[in-house]
Amino acid sequence: MWDNRCKIAVSGVGYSKVSRTADRPLAAHALDAVRDAVADSGLRMQDIDGLATYPELPATGHAEVDGISIVSVNCMMAMLKLPALTWHIQVGTTNIGGAVQQATNALLAGVCTYAVVWRAMHNPAGTYQNLPGAYAQGAAQFTGPYGFGGPGQGMAVAYTRWLETNNQSRDKMATLAVTQRKHTQHNPHAYFHGTELTREDYFASRMVAYPFCLFDCDIPVQGAVAVVLTTADRARDLKPKPAYIAGYGQRLHFETAGRIGSLSSYMEGGSSSAKLTWERSGFTPKDVDVAQIYDGFSASVIYGLESYGFCKEGEALDFIQDGRIELDGDLPLNTFGGSLGTGRIHGLWHIIEGALQASGRAGSRQVKDANVSFVGASAPIVTGTTFIFVGDPY
Amino acid sequence: MSDWSKVTRPIPVPNEWTKPFWDAAKQGVLALQRCRSCGHVQHPPYATCTQCIGVDLTFEPVRGAGTIYAYTIMYHTGDKRFASAVPYASIVVELDDAPGALLAANLLDADYTEAKVGRRVEVMFEQLNDDITLPQFRLAAG
Repeated sequence: MWDNRCKIAVSGVGYSKVSRTADRPLAAHALDAVRDAVADSGLRMQDIDGLATYPELPATGHAEVDGISIVSVNCMMAMLKLPALTWHIQVGTTNIGGAVQQATNALLAGVCTYAVVWRAMHNPAGTYQNLPGAYAQGAAQFTGPYGFGGPGQGMAVAYTRWLETNNQSRDKMATLAVTQRKHTQHNPHAYFHGTELTREDYFASRMVAYPFCLFDCDIPVQGAVAVVLTTADRARDLKPKPAYIAGYGQRLHFETAGRIGSLSSYMEGGSSSAKLTWERSGFTPKDVDVAQIYDGFSASVIYGLESYGFCKEGEALDFIQDGRIELDGDLPLNTFGGSLGTGRIHGLWHIIEGALQASGRAGSRQVKDANVSFVGASAPIVTGTTFIFVGDPY
Repeated sequence: MSDWSKVTRPIPVPNEWTKPFWDAAKQGVLALQRCRSCGHVQHPPYATCTQCIGVDLTFEPVRGAGTIYAYTIMYHTGDKRFASAVPYASIVVELDDAPGALLAANLLDADYTEAKVGRRVEVMFEQLNDDITLPQFRLAAG
């Protein structure tokens, strides 16, 4: 087990309004989320001395303009002018989960005391994913000419591989989309709060990139979420009940650029990250009371459930049936609605929900007696990270 | 069947690592990167052998017979250049001569519904301009 098990905790969490269009600069969303998280902890902004984010804009072919389409650490520093600031970082090889892990490490090292991590996501006007221009350079020279554009198609090819080698049907995915949308109705911050989804809606929806229909894809939105992390002893003195980090991991496998469709890459990425998390936390999948698994595209949940060890390979779509992922099921899943419910904010919202469920702060969607809370914070193949939060360490 | 006649594909830009692949394709030959140390054949081309980390890499012709490893049917028309072809099959092919090497392509000369994992395919070539010819795949004869 990890020497630093449960020594760092998530304290406050915060949200901006999530909107479909960029009606104001992204920096305003990020500020709202950061202020909300700091207030939730009962801290003052001048107490914050650590900053971390993953600022990438996943929409390809659009300009990255700091404060407008991304919110970097530099942007946040310039806005907040924190008097006590001692540490900051932006991560590259992991998505936002890596920023949370780096903040954890910085707190353990004692180089900061209250760190804020945010993820701000922009929805540009026009088509979200623009294929290469007239020319396909680099790795895209082997994919772009054939109409392979955004990550949706890249995930879709692995999904057909999974479906047809396991003799499975995409129809079973309706259960995930519908159950998560049900959960979304308990999350007032989510984009699809107030909008129901039925199985009929799922089956009637237009196809985007088979096997993905519209409701297998998270909707691009403009918004931000944030968390405050601190040491366990400090967290206990703050307003919210802490969610302790029992363990974390990051994927240790990377596919060579431009090689698409390989299902084993998802599995190796996910299992390498989860193995670290299980070993460090001392828990096993059987100990988990509630799970958040990244669902930017629905099939990521399959790769997550299987590679993290919740079910056997080829069985994930059967595993999620019969009420298992409902709030009162054996493994309540993506209880905040997931990205399919909140809109595309990436994995920090999964981390927030993992922390809230562990500390009993999830309101009407709280899973009864939840303590061991698992998070797979992004797609296992590229930027996967995993976490275990606990409310009452044991 | 998808109508590709009005599609303007992005033109691949060969670089120092990939030029031999495109030079061969222009001659109607499928050539993949092969490690001289361990014999491993890989695609896409990479700086090192993904099996033994060897750096002595060359390109050698391979047979164009393989199976559909995975595929997607594209319906989204976000990229207007491809809009006239939807729905179309973008496939990933694993060649008999290069297990583990995965080639992206379109399934040509067949309805998109013919794309299925495990189906046998063979290479064909689609000339884009004087410099670039694109390897593509069709269902294997018989």
